[in-house]
Amino acid sequence: MKRLIALAVIIGSAIIVSSWPSYGQRDPNARCLLECHGKPDFKREVAPGQFKSLYVDYEQFKASVHKEKLCVDCHTDVTVIPHQRRPEQIHCLQCHYQGNVVGAPVSERPEKYKESVHGKAFERGDPNAPDCKSCHTVHAVRPPTDPLSPVYRANIPKTCASCHVEIYTEYLEGVHGQALRNNVLESAVCSDCHREHDLFPPDDPRSSLHPQNVANTCARCHTDVKIMERRGVPVKQVEAFKKSFHGIAIEFGILRSANCVSCHEYHKILSSRDPRSPIHPLNLAQTCGQCHPNASSNVARGRFHIIPSDPDAGIVFWVYEFYRWLTIVMTAGFIFYIVLDLYGRWRHARRSSHG
Amino acid sequence: MADSGNEERLVQELQRELEHELARPLDDAELQRIKELVRAQLEAELRAKQRRAAQEKEQEEYFVRFSMNFCLQHLVLAIGVILLTITGLPIKFHDSAWAEFIFRNIWSLEVNRVIHRVGASLLMLVSVWHIGWLMTREGRRELRELLPRVKDFWDFIANVKFMLGLSSERPRFGRYSYSEKFEYWALVWGTAVMVLSGLMLWFHRIALAYLPKYIFDVALQAHSGEALLAILALITWHMYHAHLNPEVFPMNMTIFTGKISKKRLMEEHPLEYEQIMRERAEAEQP
Repeated sequence: MKRLIALAVIIGSAIIVSSWPSYGQRDPNARCLLECHGKPDFKREVAPGQFKSLYVDYEQFKASVHKEKLCVDCHTDVTVIPHQRRPEQIHCLQCHYQGNVVGAPVSERPEKYKESVHGKAFERGDPNAPDCKSCHTVHAVRPPTDPLSPVYRANIPKTCASCHVEIYTEYLEGVHGQALRNNVLESAVCSDCHREHDLFPPDDPRSSLHPQNVANTCARCHTDVKIMERRGVPVKQVEAFKKSFHGIAIEFGILRSANCVSCHEYHKILSSRDPRSPIHPLNLAQTCGQCHPNASSNVARGRFHIIPSDPDAGIVFWVYEFYRWLTIVMTAGFIFYIVLDLYGRWRHARRSSHG
Repeated sequence: MADSGNEERLVQELQRELEHELARPLDDAELQRIKELVRAQLEAELRAKQRRAAQEKEQEEYFVRFSMNFCLQHLVLAIGVILLTITGLPIKFHDSAWAEFIFRNIWSLEVNRVIHRVGASLLMLVSVWHIGWLMTREGRRELRELLPRVKDFWDFIANVKFMLGLSSERPRFGRYSYSEKFEYWALVWGTAVMVLSGLMLWFHRIALAYLPKYIFDVALQAHSGEALLAILALITWHMYHAHLNPEVFPMNMTIFTGKISKKRLMEEHPLEYEQIMRERAEAEQP
């Protein structure tokens, strides 16, 4: 009988333990959770009738990158449990700074945030400014490779949309948004162009959106032969742009010159076959007309983004070839003639000096 | 004549010296021989002196090859082309380190554009000026001389033969040799291409209104291609004929002063020299 009771206790406690949310008595975080933060209705009255939930979904936490951490590893000012005072707001840079020997995975990225538009706004006290947790969540921080992470590629537009909702709708109409909807993960998401942590306004020379950097930003994908071939997109556009008057002007500091987005738009980039697109042949006169007021429908008669040495350039290629060969033949002829003339003079001089 | 007195004195001196050495008077035949020798010697000396004087005179004598107007046209053209070259090349080779150095350290792209258009204006100015000048009597005469003729082709063949040693004579050129004619017409063609395409690029707003984009692209490519061809022709053909050639090294000043020495005129343009001489002779005869 004693044995039976002992067995029942063991089984019972096993059942109790296993039915416990997911933390056991041995989990050092259990003290925080059992009494307070593990209860879904645990909340604090911030203003009369207004409550802030203080519940922590521990299942989510155990699935996060911080699953090995203790609550007090981050909430360092909590020394006795239950804590007497409201803990200070924690900051990720407590651990995620460069040179942390404990080994939090650190790069310069978190620090770059401070320089970014978001960081600056946060510093100014803008209540809408996002900080780390706005994108990475609080307790459920998952790695960017995890499809459940808000910073997973496919989720990034939605994450940004929590503030930038109008841009999100524009983006979804564009080719990049459409492709992402069709599960093309290599399509561009917000952070591919805007970067994540070092996100600067376009007039900042460090910005990926600065006129002098736009072509290189697009080039990160649009010069990738593999990606572009898979999507059936021409790959020489950026190179051709850099050789064009617009590209040269931008490169050497004439910033009002056109860059990629001047014609292609940015969030709502559309194929040239789409009649709504600014680069649809019927819309080109208006698009070019933004800078060149007299532009007529004639601007659509010809190829765009041509590289003269490339047969795809059509008639320009033939002009290029004509001048290439003419120059080679003529210059070689000139040099040959000069050598011949000098030889003739030398011969003549030698003969007359010999008598 | 002073010369005959001189001759007699020399003969007498020689006679005295020989008689003293031989210790006998000279006979008539010997005296006659001494006289002949002295005369021949003196005549040779006189001829040499005359030749030297003539040579000096030849080197000093200059002919007017180009009018002041013509020289000024060349000067403006040269300044324009130099400005166009130093501002055009960095655009064509914008990828190169030296172009980047120029645009980042010496002059900006904006300044570059202004200088290029100043050069273009000079080139167009001189083109209009030249066309107007070709209407004048002087211009019409020069144009006639500059027209290519069948003789130029045979001159070229003959000159190549001479250089190779297959013939001993250089062909005899008129006012303009085939190489000068070639350069002139290459310049005319090049200027036409550069000015036409350049105007389209300069006034692209107008061009974009009336011309298809591909014409504009062709103009840009032709501008770039013709420019390089012209620059290479300048630093080979022109540099050789006007500077590096042993005949004129280090620099042929004729195009700036308008003057050419008789010696060079006779060597380089013998037919023109003969023509001038004929005309002078005709003018002297009443």
